[in-house]
Amino acid sequence: MNAQAALDLAGIPERIQSEVQRAIQRSIKGVEYFSTSGPSLGSTPKDILHARGTMNLYHYRPMADEVYRVPILIVMATTNRGYILDLVPGQSFIEFLLKRGYDVYMLDWIAPKPEEKNLRMEDYVLDFIPDCVRRVQLDSGEKDISVIGYCFGGVLSLLYGSIFNDGPMKNLICFTTPIDFREMKLFSNFSDRRYFDVDHLIGAVGNLPPEMILSSFEMLRPASRVAGQVQLWENIWNDEFVKSYRMFDRWATDTLPLAGEYFRAITKDLMWDNKLFNDTMSVGGRAAKLESIKVPILHAVAEHDHIVPYDAAKHLITKIGSQDKEEVMLKGGHVSLVAGANAIKRLWPKLDTWLGKRST
Amino acid sequence: MADKGNDPAVVWQTMIAEMEKGFNSFANQAMASPEFSKVMNQAGGAAAGVQKQLGEMMEKYLLTMNLPSRAQFVGLAERLQSIEGHLSEIKAMLNQMNRDSGADESGFAGTPRPPRTRRPPSEGEPK
Repeated sequence: MNAQAALDLAGIPERIQSEVQRAIQRSIKGVEYFSTSGPSLGSTPKDILHARGTMNLYHYRPMADEVYRVPILIVMATTNRGYILDLVPGQSFIEFLLKRGYDVYMLDWIAPKPEEKNLRMEDYVLDFIPDCVRRVQLDSGEKDISVIGYCFGGVLSLLYGSIFNDGPMKNLICFTTPIDFREMKLFSNFSDRRYFDVDHLIGAVGNLPPEMILSSFEMLRPASRVAGQVQLWENIWNDEFVKSYRMFDRWATDTLPLAGEYFRAITKDLMWDNKLFNDTMSVGGRAAKLESIKVPILHAVAEHDHIVPYDAAKHLITKIGSQDKEEVMLKGGHVSLVAGANAIKRLWPKLDTWLGKRST
Repeated sequence: MADKGNDPAVVWQTMIAEMEKGFNSFANQAMASPEFSKVMNQAGGAAAGVQKQLGEMMEKYLLTMNLPSRAQFVGLAERLQSIEGHLSEIKAMLNQMNRDSGADESGFAGTPRPPRTRRPPSEGEPK
């Protein structure tokens, strides 16, 4: 028996003791897990500036004595809730921005009602976003606005910016924003026009049910939910792990339905015809070409993004018309890029440095 | 303490991670085929048809039972939402008026907003 093996044997009692303690903790914390509801999310103080149908416009209360001149409007993805950017104190992107002296507004979404199934892409790009921009201008007293779009919120921001290219958007920040939808390989296959009858589906269900959206996201990594639950059980003695798991799990499963007509347009114009990438996109008869966006733009992409692969996002910076443009690739996945420990260390400080000098 | 290579817990975790990766990769390859898309969409289309029929049947059932119809609930919800919307707008207008008049009221609404004069910190300056 060599020295290393002897050392291993010596550590066995300690190891057994540690495992027994964890097993006891698992039982106690396991009961706690099912009897508590998890941390309260999205609690940074805010006021609802405007609410209309599926749209909510929040204004977050400033946390600094002095703020930058240009306010920020965050446009959230239409499939998910905005509190991913405002998890808990210390892990909230919104709180970070407020403490760094930004005046922050958010366009967040609630589930469209069955009667809102006729909302079209035009309603989102030519009505909801411009309406919010106008209200932010009125509330802040500033003409210029920086827009931050996350995932499909980035796509909507690009469409808005390319149509309203003479202002008032002063800066644009996109997080993990796809423009080449052919490169979203699995989504592209799921919606293969030879087999996917979007008209029949929308005719039958009205709005696309959230369960279908969640399933399609989960199908991208079918084993990950089960593996996540195994990990949770192993780490259930660890309060920090459980808190983080609950926050992200709750958000990921809190998927919103999509308005039927809007989903039809996404499928036909973007998934099938790839119009944004091909420079043939129009909304309500108005051309939406990326080259017509001239404002400074920062595009943050994630190295291990399984929802928006880099190939689907990489052409944004080359196709955009701006002179002042930058792409930054950071470690992490689609969600950990913007929220969680990685984001605190990587994306948020980068964004602050980039945006601060363009917000005066 | 046993080194990490021999630690059964670490071996177990590595195995789970590898299995997850392997299964995801295998499933992704299978799901990338046109055959998968065809089968998935056939099943999805049928389910959507059933869901539609079920919805119509439920609507008729509720009508027969003399229960409030969905349209009536929706009408009520819309009226409530419209009232909420108006309240939000009135609140926003009041906040704006408070700020414009500089009135010193209790609560956030009366609190003046910070000046919009912030400049980015220079190199090396703490943020």
